Amino acid sequence: MLLLAVAAGWRMWGTVLPPTVSEGETPRQPSARPTPSVFTPAHRTLGDAVEAFFGIRPEAVQPIAFSHRVHVENDLGCTDYCHPHATEGPQAGLPSLRTCMLCHATIATEHPEIQKMTAYEERGEDVTWQRVFGFVRSAHVRFNHAPHVRADVACATCHGDVGSQTVAQRLDLTMGQCIDCHEAQQAAIECVTCHF
Amino acid sequence: MPHRWGMVVDLDRCTGCEACVVACRAENNVPTVGEAEAARGRAIHWIRVERYVDGEFPDVRVKFLPVFCQHCDAAPCEPVCPTYASYHTADGLNAQVYNRCIGTRYCANACPYTVRFFNFFNPVWEKPLHLQLNPDVSVREVGVMEKCTFCVQRIKAAEIAAKAEDRPLRDGEVVPACAQACPSRALVFGDLNDPDSEASRLAGSHRATHLLGELGTQPKVFYLQREGGHDRQDREGDQ
Amino acid sequence: MDRRNFLKTSTVGGAAAALSSCGHPEAPLVRFLPDEELVPGVATWKPSVCPGCRAGCGVLVRVMEGDAEVIRNGQHGVVRMGVAKKLEGNPEHPISQGRLCPRGQAAIQLTYHPDRLGHPLERVGARGSGEYKPLDWDAAISTLVERLRALDDRRAHATLAALTRPLRGVRRELIARFLQAFGAGPPSVFELFSDDVLRRANERSFGRRQLPTFDLSRARYVISFGADFLGTWNSPVAQSAAYGEMRQGRPGIRGTFVQVEPRMSQTGANADRWVPVRPGTEGVLALGLAHVMLQRGLASASSGAAVGALIDGWDAGLPAYAPEAVERETGVAARRIARLASELAADRPAVAIIGGAPLAHTNGFFNAIAVNALNAVLDSVGRPGGMRFMPEARITLPEVRSETSTASSAAREQSFSLLRDRMRGVTGPGVEVLLLYDANPVFAAPRAWRIREALAQVPFIVSFGSFLDDTSTFADLILPDHSFLESWMDDAPESGSDRAVVSVAAPAMRPLHDTRATADVLLEIARQLGGRVSTALPWHSYEDALRAAVQSVDAGASADAKTSADVWTLVQQQGGWWTETLESSSSEMKRAAGASIRRATPRFDGDETEYPFHFLPYPSQAFLDGSLAHLPWMQELPDVLSTAMWGTWVEINPRTAERLGVSQGDLVEVASSQGRLEAPALVSPGIAPDVVAMPVGQGHRTFTRYASGRGANPVALLAPLVEPESGTLAWAATRVRVARKGRGRLTLFAGGLRERPGGVTR
Repeated sequence: MLLLAVAAGWRMWGTVLPPTVSEGETPRQPSARPTPSVFTPAHRTLGDAVEAFFGIRPEAVQPIAFSHRVHVENDLGCTDYCHPHATEGPQAGLPSLRTCMLCHATIATEHPEIQKMTAYEERGEDVTWQRVFGFVRSAHVRFNHAPHVRADVACATCHGDVGSQTVAQRLDLTMGQCIDCHEAQQAAIECVTCHF
Repeated sequence: MPHRWGMVVDLDRCTGCEACVVACRAENNVPTVGEAEAARGRAIHWIRVERYVDGEFPDVRVKFLPVFCQHCDAAPCEPVCPTYASYHTADGLNAQVYNRCIGTRYCANACPYTVRFFNFFNPVWEKPLHLQLNPDVSVREVGVMEKCTFCVQRIKAAEIAAKAEDRPLRDGEVVPACAQACPSRALVFGDLNDPDSEASRLAGSHRATHLLGELGTQPKVFYLQREGGHDRQDREGDQ
Repeated sequence: MDRRNFLKTSTVGGAAAALSSCGHPEAPLVRFLPDEELVPGVATWKPSVCPGCRAGCGVLVRVMEGDAEVIRNGQHGVVRMGVAKKLEGNPEHPISQGRLCPRGQAAIQLTYHPDRLGHPLERVGARGSGEYKPLDWDAAISTLVERLRALDDRRAHATLAALTRPLRGVRRELIARFLQAFGAGPPSVFELFSDDVLRRANERSFGRRQLPTFDLSRARYVISFGADFLGTWNSPVAQSAAYGEMRQGRPGIRGTFVQVEPRMSQTGANADRWVPVRPGTEGVLALGLAHVMLQRGLASASSGAAVGALIDGWDAGLPAYAPEAVERETGVAARRIARLASELAADRPAVAIIGGAPLAHTNGFFNAIAVNALNAVLDSVGRPGGMRFMPEARITLPEVRSETSTASSAAREQSFSLLRDRMRGVTGPGVEVLLLYDANPVFAAPRAWRIREALAQVPFIVSFGSFLDDTSTFADLILPDHSFLESWMDDAPESGSDRAVVSVAAPAMRPLHDTRATADVLLEIARQLGGRVSTALPWHSYEDALRAAVQSVDAGASADAKTSADVWTLVQQQGGWWTETLESSSSEMKRAAGASIRRATPRFDGDETEYPFHFLPYPSQAFLDGSLAHLPWMQELPDVLSTAMWGTWVEINPRTAERLGVSQGDLVEVASSQGRLEAPALVSPGIAPDVVAMPVGQGHRTFTRYASGRGANPVALLAPLVEPESGTLAWAATRVRVARKGRGRLTLFAGGLRERPGGVTR
């Protein structure tokens, strides 16, 4: 057990090792981007690594106080306009501002939150929504919405009662919940069903 | 009956071009490590092309051999894993579960084919090279083992598509990246439990062999031996 | 306590203390409104054309939604867009047939390369320093337009010149027509591993100035003289596809394959018989085989009369090529020649291929004509299982008539040697403005050609390339092209299918950077110049021009398209246009013409006593002529024969190495009359004792972070000998000496089976 603990501890520490960049002389190259940088699964700081290890995730702070409740009360289904891709593919996706403005070009245009959106649109920008749901990278989960929708799993099963919320609130889902449901539905429960 | 995924490699078709090697890297988010780490033996290639050179100049014969995880039925890597990160799936894949892996590297030591690779450090993609990363495949971090998965993401995607249409998988519907790229069609993937699959048919060839089969690993990769060559006669005749 | 909690508690202690100060997320980047709405996580497939080599393979691009960092109106932000994830062969495309080579697989990195040039640049430092400042497109284009107007004012139109990598189709035509309308000469092309010798030989033998296509899948016997046709030569994907069928595609029939070459290539490693031959004597061996067949009555001289008659002594049965004489010259045993000849004669259809080094001797033309004659003896020309020529698919820009002249596409290219002399002022007209597109002669031309000095004398150089390389660092202005995935693409393959093929594709994704398609830039410049240049190039964009050119395609030849509008739609759907019918092109071959060709012996640079080794540079599996050395995937691709990564090496025969006291990995110096270099030795049995070989591709002075200053460039050793018929460089005609210098560094891929009782066992 001690060995395992040391190994696991090392793995966590290891995740903040400085990124190794490939060798070779780097002559002057005019860069196309202001911040030449790298993509790496390494955590940026030790704090990030520890938080990730404990599953501590910062609360999503949304730029607009979007009310799911109002939309659901107005008979908009989850996958009607805003998250239609949940029925088609792996990701539900977030609607772009264009989708919002399909309605809000004429509806509730005086509402201060809608005016924020109009301002975004005028600047040619999209809303910088923050992800609420989603697996952390180190979970190595390749979740796919569409087969779950086809199996008539209700959105609320995993996402909770979003219809009564303003911005969506995260539920802490565990693998146990996935497996309970998979077992009940006689779906596959071996590891590579989801982890690959 | 569950599937039993396997691959047939026709060594008479293989030309050693290594399209499979690059296709695998592109599909499976296999990082490059740079010269210094490569020199330390830390380069990662889920599939490689080995070459065996026989004879001396001018009577030189070369044999190319694409080597990747053999997805053994009696896999030596599985029983040695203390965390069950390396395990056998119902459809015969030798799976590697990154979340479970704690990096003991016992499996790499146990594997006679040297097809398991350890992440000695976190991989790095210099932006925007990362935009190429395949979202269907995990990016592995430091401390975990990785290896050929038979492109399990493609298997899963095909299974989901078939289920959505309420039909069984068709032969040839799942094609791993290496087999798809192969210019000479040396790699054929399929269900060995389906006697009519192309892979089953080829695996029944008189040329079919296993790599290091005498070790009793029961691989699910078949190598069809090269034919021909009356080289010796040729040599004798010339002298 | 379960495992997870145990792990958590036992590793936390020390870490917790260090926590408090870290972990504040950065302010998120601005998110721009997306230009397109895609289903996240679901791939769409779009056709494109691989730019990696001259094969012109059609590809399919896997496009998925992704977040790309971009700069818009000077603001750094993120935009959701379709990004290319993977390239596969286009199954509909007659050349690639759904497959791709390793370089094609890696071509996606051209788009995402971190050192790709993302906006126009103006030189601020000394030429070659790589110091540039960014410029906006309007300013950049008007800089060039002013330069061109100045030429116009001085009536110095002829001093404009263009140097490109080999281009075909509409892009080539647009450049040619631009130059013609401006009043300049035709564009020049620079290519190290040029096949022009073979094209010219084919013109002489068959009346077709084109590379041949081989029907390998139906051949029973293939003999290749130096052609790396499964690796790097001509159309490797199409040829490999056919090779697979040749070996195992026909029940009960397995084709035999013989490779003739002094250094075992990747292709040669697959041969049933590998026949090393003295460099430059391949043509003699081919005629030696023909001699045996004619003498023994295994073939009749009349079958190849027209093509064979080009060879001196043909009618007399090639008396000068008796096996014993050929053995003395080629080093191949007379009995082996006799046996190969009888196998060739017996296992029909048989076909002979020539490519690569045998063409790159001073007698390359003779070698090519000789192999053509062998094909004629084998009766393989235009026959199933033999060689043929792909029907030409003409897509040409329509002619535009103006009062003064007719802008057409008749202009051929100007030889690179003439351009060189013009740049150096040796011959007129001089070059005042040079348009440079992806050609890299500073890297890939012999030093004796003095390319640097020539470029230094050109007052203004504009580069359209996407990367700073050895040559484009001389540019004063850089107008970077889109990547092939971001641009319209077209190509017209000359080999690889028996159908006429044009590859055309719309952009597969939106541009990542502030780049512009070179064709569009040229059209914009033409517009701004006005007058006859804009009259000659009336199209608004590359897309417009392509659309106009596609009208020239014969709609009737395709089953699915009846009108030209149908053709345009079809072309965009399938990634090009190709005929449905299998055309027999043999009838289109003209009879061979011209005076008979005498045996030519190869000349070599360097005295045999001082420089005892033939030096054989060869296109590397990963980098070809070096133009792909900047791709990290290619750098880390273990060469299939040496397993070397991230470097260069010198291949030496074990006996030679022993004599020189060189062991694997030692640093050796290779010197010719032209220069010297150092590289680690790779001891290999697959090379003749009097030959040393090096892959071309490394040794770039400047070529992004991955290739700059890495390895050695064998081109630096090459003598400026040319093949006289085509004027192309005889890159296999240099002699060298080799000496040990110390310990070197060779990075080999460590992978290998730990135990290998007999390799593969039952």
